Amino acid sequence: MHEHWRDDNFEDFPIAMAYVPWQKFERLYDDLEKGYCAGTVFPELDKPFTGRRCV
Amino acid sequence: MWSYEKRLQFPVNIKEPNAKLAQAIISQYGGPDGEMGASMRYLSQRYSIPYREVAGVLTDIGTEELAHLEMVASIVHQLTRNLSMEEIEKSGFANYYVDHTVGVWPQAAGGVPFNACEFQVKGDPITDLMEDMAAEQKARATYDNILRLVKDPDVCEPIKFLRMREVVHFQRFGEALRMVQDRLDSRNFYAFNPAFDKCESCDDKPDCGCDK
Amino acid sequence: MGDREQLLRDIGIADFVLTELVLYLDTHPHDCKAMEYFNHYNRIKLQMEKEFSQKYYPLNTRYAESGKEWRWGAAPLPWEGACA
Repeated sequence: MHEHWRDDNFEDFPIAMAYVPWQKFERLYDDLEKGYCAGTVFPELDKPFTGRRCV
Repeated sequence: MWSYEKRLQFPVNIKEPNAKLAQAIISQYGGPDGEMGASMRYLSQRYSIPYREVAGVLTDIGTEELAHLEMVASIVHQLTRNLSMEEIEKSGFANYYVDHTVGVWPQAAGGVPFNACEFQVKGDPITDLMEDMAAEQKARATYDNILRLVKDPDVCEPIKFLRMREVVHFQRFGEALRMVQDRLDSRNFYAFNPAFDKCESCDDKPDCGCDK
Repeated sequence: MGDREQLLRDIGIADFVLTELVLYLDTHPHDCKAMEYFNHYNRIKLQMEKEFSQKYYPLNTRYAESGKEWRWGAAPLPWEGACA
């Protein structure tokens, strides 16, 4: 496999295709119980449903 | 091959039965965007993928979906156990009850039985991964809809957990798609199907080193 | 929460961290830091599973070895919930 394209050159990505940026691993939640209840141990992926706009 | 663990991926301990809610949540068991469709979709799509790492993503997420299937069934089971006849009649559960008593059967909230048409296996890696990303979003939106109906924290907690897994899986399928793109020619991703079409040098040498 | 419930919860948490790391490593096979985390939590989880199976009941048939009787079938079912 060759090097992944760098996500900061998004302009260079060919059109007519979809791209999800690579996750870069920084750390796990310090409180793993919190991550377990949230459904992810990666803080950057923790995107809960609020059911309200402008929260 | 699989190995069974006698525990849920996330605990389900519901004290109050609620047949009405069970009828909505059962959609995530056997409905159009439910966990049965999810697990069968990924585990069926694996075979034609020519890249081991990508087939690995499908295997591991498909396996986790089986654990989600068991969680959703546990929620439905606990919401419908110890129901009185009066509650069954009052909550509109009689139609389900007459065919299944309080057993767990894969159907959508509207009563439509589970059907393999809920998912696709196209045999084309880009197409299949795009479907998988869409499937995760549809399941996430279904859990959003369920969360608006749920007041009981015993039900809310496992549903919130399952919803977040859809977001994580979307990210992983997106990365798996990037792995496929990295192996194709970015000038034309659609020039051929890497799960089917051969390269030119394959004609002379079957083991030419290309992925097909 | 009793000792048994607490240990089962801790196993659940450790296994969940592993599930997350497995999926991450599937798409980032060269991430050494994630690999170290995986090794660390995998050791902890295996240890806890063994302890749980010896003290209470086997969570998997690989832990079902016993001198006398077959305990797998009598173990609580996951969908029973705490109030069963």
